[in-house]
Amino acid sequence: MKDQTTLNKTPLIAITGQPNTGKTTLFNQLSGKKFKTVNYPGSTVEYSISKILSKYAVNANILDSPGIISLLPVSPDEELSVQTLFKHPEHGTPDIIAVTVDASQLSRNLYLVRQLINSGFNVVVILTMLDLLHKKGFDISDKKLSEILKCDVVRVNSKTGEGIDNFLTSVNKSILQLSKLSENNSVTGHFPVSRENLLKSYTEIEQIEKDVIFNTGISETFKETDLDKINKELIVLNSPGSFQKPDEFTLKLDKFVLHKFWGLIIFFLTMLIMFTSVFYIAAPAMDLVNDAFSLWSENASDIVGDNWYGNLISQGIISGVGSVMVFLPQILILFLILSLLENSGFLARGAMIIDKPLSKIGLNGKSFVPMLSGFACAIPAMMATRTITNKKERMLTIFIIPLMSCSARLPVYALLIAFLIPKDDALTGGLILTLIYIFSIASSLVIAAVVNKFSKSFLNTNDNSSFILELPAYRKPKLTAAVTSMFSNAKQYVLKAGPVILYLSIILWVLTYLPNYDPVVNENGKSEDEIVMLKNSERIATSYASEIGYFIEPVMKPLGLDWRVGVALIATFAAREVFVSSLMVILKLLIQRKTIKVLF
Amino acid sequence: MKTAADMKIGEKARIEDIDNSHPSSHRLMEIGFTPGQEIEMLNKTLFNDPIAFSIRGSIIAIRKNEAASIII
Ligand SMILES: Nc1nc2c(ncn2[C@@H]2O[C@H](COP(=O)(O)OP(=O)(O)OP(=O)(O)O)[C@@H](O)[C@H]2O)c(=O)[nH]1
Ligand SMILES: [Mg+2]
Repeated sequence: MKDQTTLNKTPLIAITGQPNTGKTTLFNQLSGKKFKTVNYPGSTVEYSISKILSKYAVNANILDSPGIISLLPVSPDEELSVQTLFKHPEHGTPDIIAVTVDASQLSRNLYLVRQLINSGFNVVVILTMLDLLHKKGFDISDKKLSEILKCDVVRVNSKTGEGIDNFLTSVNKSILQLSKLSENNSVTGHFPVSRENLLKSYTEIEQIEKDVIFNTGISETFKETDLDKINKELIVLNSPGSFQKPDEFTLKLDKFVLHKFWGLIIFFLTMLIMFTSVFYIAAPAMDLVNDAFSLWSENASDIVGDNWYGNLISQGIISGVGSVMVFLPQILILFLILSLLENSGFLARGAMIIDKPLSKIGLNGKSFVPMLSGFACAIPAMMATRTITNKKERMLTIFIIPLMSCSARLPVYALLIAFLIPKDDALTGGLILTLIYIFSIASSLVIAAVVNKFSKSFLNTNDNSSFILELPAYRKPKLTAAVTSMFSNAKQYVLKAGPVILYLSIILWVLTYLPNYDPVVNENGKSEDEIVMLKNSERIATSYASEIGYFIEPVMKPLGLDWRVGVALIATFAAREVFVSSLMVILKLLIQRKTIKVLF
Repeated sequence: MKTAADMKIGEKARIEDIDNSHPSSHRLMEIGFTPGQEIEMLNKTLFNDPIAFSIRGSIIAIRKNEAASIII
């Protein structure tokens, strides 16, 4: 009860709006959070709440939600948004609804705005993407729009933060009115949904659009051309409805990217380059990390000395953690490329190109983006399937996402490749990694096809299978933004995996070094190296780990594996990313420069 | 009866009606495909499905069977 009253005191501002209109970008500005912003409609699939940063001096909570086309949801992400708007489970109905409106696509965006106003919400309209409208040579009169809609209209560039103060002024004003009105919940949730009403609404919106959009003269694209061209352009501009032309550059680029044949080739080349560069670009950085950790490990054992705790620190902790950190560069590169792809606008095109083939095996073009993010991490990827309308297609996509080789599995592959391929043969290594990726895609598709074939009996939904996707205007991906997102992703990976790897490295050290730390071996006529090797193998053969390993060997034998892999697998239950460090400690793999040698 | 699915690349047309019987018809109208609007067919994939249209200043890709419910 107490909680509820305190929560009720802080006003809740919900950001909503059509997909890809800059909601999350604005939310990040206001809350200081770093949620993913992607040039793809449907990037946010979960709501998040945060306090507005104290520097803005507004005492309110702000809520980000998945984009919606209308208040009539057709997919789980939209359902979640609409539910949040009408009755948030914890915070109740939001006090203020801030609707982002893509100014370069005014009429399509106003449809939702009017539905929200008609439902009785306290609406503030935020005009975003004005830079794109200016590029077309047009602008919006926010004053007129505000008069017509009878609500505040503010211009904000959520990327630069320009105009956020206008928004906050409007919010403050509304909050004051709220306290006067006190509990006045007039939200009805009743809005007309019939075809007649929809068409009437759009007719009215078209009139509003004509009233508020005006020509600023010459479109920026044509600034530097000669007079003749400008004259020609003016004639076009003066014809009614020419602001309803998509972005010029996007249309040109799509001639290639969505070309019948070139489109497919560009698509597959992009995917291929993505997976090969993960190996090639990362290789030098991996060497560096590896050298650093081996140096560190040697130093540690020099300082602490050759005793059991020195060994624990150098072999157990530093080498264990190092064996996983070596693969951080690969993961960084993967995230960097994904983020560049995400921000360019290519993802929506990829989804369109691949829709037909995927629909043949029971998936959807909208499965593409979740599958792609499955290469980074499986759980957010599964959540991203919420944008898929059809239940069966959604379930099938979730089903195959674990088959995508997620970034945590990269170390395992890289280790095995390094193990199987002769040193200095990076070319073959990269090829094999690419093949592993292709294989993981191919196997997931085959499995989807098979399940799809036999699923009719247990997944009989007669949902409409649909693919309606806005292809957003291309944007030059900003390298700084991509690098920032890469590092925040990597940080999460390290923070999540780091402690687990550390503890497991210690536990594994204990399991593999004890109880027989200094075994007695027959030293007669053997060199020093041989004695060390003998001791090592004797120690592990009598260790706790071997006991566990022998215990589960009956299960591992049929798979062609012995107790050593069994122990590594047990450790892996905690986190996929520790498989390598477990195997490393257990097999006592020594990484010496690029070579990996097995000691016994 | 000609539909948006029959259009050629670069062809423009005015929407006459939306076939109510198609399950996606309401969503198509919500997203902006309303009678009276001018559309331009922009791109097709190799399989002629989906198809990208220019509508109300946006580019929107829809399946061929959905385009077939847009009567021009
Ligand atoms: N040119 C321009 N781009 C913007 C502006 N605001 C945001 N963007 C970009 O638009 C894209 C979409 O932004 P998001 O904040 O992810 O949009 P969203 O509304 O949260 O999208 P969904 O979660 O998919 O509904 C990103 O690539 C942003 O960088 C703006 O004012 N101008
Ligand atoms: Mg978002």
